[in-house]
Amino acid sequence: MTEMSTTILPPIVSAHGLKKSFGRKEVLHGLDFEIPPGRIYGVIGHNGAGKTTMLNAMLGLTNCEGTIRVLGEDPFARRAHLMENVAFISDVASLPRFLRVRELFALLSNIHPNFSQAKAQSFLEGTDLKPDLKIKHLSKGMIAQLHLAVVMAIDAKLLVLDEPTLGLDITYRKRFYRRLLEDYMTEERTLIITTHQVDEIEFMLSDIMFIRDGSMILHMQMETVNDKFTQLVVNDPSKQAAARALGPVYEETRFGQTVMIFDGVPRSQFEGLGNISTPTLSDLFVALMQRPTANPETAK
Amino acid sequence: MKAFVALVHRELIEHRGAFVLAPLILVAVMFVPTLISFATGRVDGRFTGFLFAAAPMRVYEFGFLAFGGAWCLYLIGVLFFYCADGFSADKRNNAMLFWKSMPVSDFKMLLAKLTATLTILPAMIYATALLSALLLFAIAFVSSSFSGAGGLVMLSHVGLVYLQIALALLLVLVIGLLWYLPFTALVGAMATVVGRWAIPLSLLLPGLVAVAEWVVLGGLSPVHTNTWRYLSYRADFQVSQGYLENWFSTDVPFSVSAFANDLIARTDWVQIGLGAVFAIVAIYLASEYRRRVNDN
Repeated sequence: MTEMSTTILPPIVSAHGLKKSFGRKEVLHGLDFEIPPGRIYGVIGHNGAGKTTMLNAMLGLTNCEGTIRVLGEDPFARRAHLMENVAFISDVASLPRFLRVRELFALLSNIHPNFSQAKAQSFLEGTDLKPDLKIKHLSKGMIAQLHLAVVMAIDAKLLVLDEPTLGLDITYRKRFYRRLLEDYMTEERTLIITTHQVDEIEFMLSDIMFIRDGSMILHMQMETVNDKFTQLVVNDPSKQAAARALGPVYEETRFGQTVMIFDGVPRSQFEGLGNISTPTLSDLFVALMQRPTANPETAK
Repeated sequence: MKAFVALVHRELIEHRGAFVLAPLILVAVMFVPTLISFATGRVDGRFTGFLFAAAPMRVYEFGFLAFGGAWCLYLIGVLFFYCADGFSADKRNNAMLFWKSMPVSDFKMLLAKLTATLTILPAMIYATALLSALLLFAIAFVSSSFSGAGGLVMLSHVGLVYLQIALALLLVLVIGLLWYLPFTALVGAMATVVGRWAIPLSLLLPGLVAVAEWVVLGGLSPVHTNTWRYLSYRADFQVSQGYLENWFSTDVPFSVSAFANDLIARTDWVQIGLGAVFAIVAIYLASEYRRRVNDN
């Protein structure tokens, strides 16, 4: 997505001064961000960092201070209307267990104006999911497949996935994301994903948000991440001092090697110091969780 | 409207055990032994002989009315537990997240549940009552035919009785459900907030209100307060009085038109209207609670 398109098209989500408190504890500290259409966002943070609360605010599941607009509407006031164009999976086990697969599809085709039963059935072709099976008798992986088929059969502008593959084995997780990319992200849709298995979704992300203790410490396009952050592996102890002089934001020792992560240092300055690469999202996440802010100006 | 109807239908799917399967099992449990007892000659002449000879239509009328009364009691019981369970069932297994992902407001969701208590769920019990009466009539008619009391004329009379009692039962169901609507709505609204605790709380709440009035305004005891008197009046659906009470002591055939005229005339329609308003307000408040409280 280019800068031009983000300025021309209105954002799918915009939040200004988004705050949320549970009792006396403030869990979101005035978030400001905009999510343009057509992007795939990864929202990453520790447990309790405020990711789910932020997503719940987007989905109208919780009321917050500040302003949040999704597709131009207040999600808490207009949740029912908004859900015609927003699909979400907040928990893979949330499908109503008393229904059979065919009953679920029939119900959805009557309830949801943008749900296509034919599409949902086509997504299940070649799987073990049969129409007469009761959801309560399905395995966790099959329920995830079914739920994904349901949301993919909804012609939505925004899809929000909050830990969609929690508790699934690696095979299901890979299949889940592959189907999502191949079968769903073929049109101008926006996808927001949170997961702890950061490395598994890194390949598909266009943007990332890091949230720590209710504050956004990084909000950036993946291309910018590649340009801005550098990982340096220094084996020679004599060169480590020179590398440290460049101001790494994070340093650790892995299998006897010293690994440093730098923010905003031109790669030309690392020549001769060691192996240079772009840090993985999980490495970057660990690195940035240690410091006060990564790019507060971008996040705003 | 299509979504609303689907949501009402969803309630039947979710609670088909109580409203479809269990009644059918009960019918089978009643029907099979009855059939066997007739087939093996275990039923003596008091039923198949004398009574049929003396007042043949009374057997059908009393039989259907008794079955209808029993099914109405069953309906009251299952509706009470449905309201206490069904209105909070969406919280189970995180399913609330799924329902909240649908383009349906919380008010519409709860209103569909309340509508189900007035339509599809009692309709299932009504259909079962019709089925059980049909089986009873079939058995009684066949056995009376063996004793020489059958024939086409008899069959037409039996059919007329069946139709009249079926219509009367339908009227009782409609007015009864409207009469008890504020109670079902209150239990449902409470269940939205406190889940299955609504079962004891809904029984406790009227007593607490009466005690509060007694403490504040005084009186002989909590059961002598205006609250208690009003609740006693609202809890009592006087279907067995009036026409039905008089009819039991006579030998005239049951008349659905006379029964309907009497029941409609004796019904306090103002109270039904007030109850409907109360039910809507209770469901609206419960839906606002459901909308605002993130249980997940």
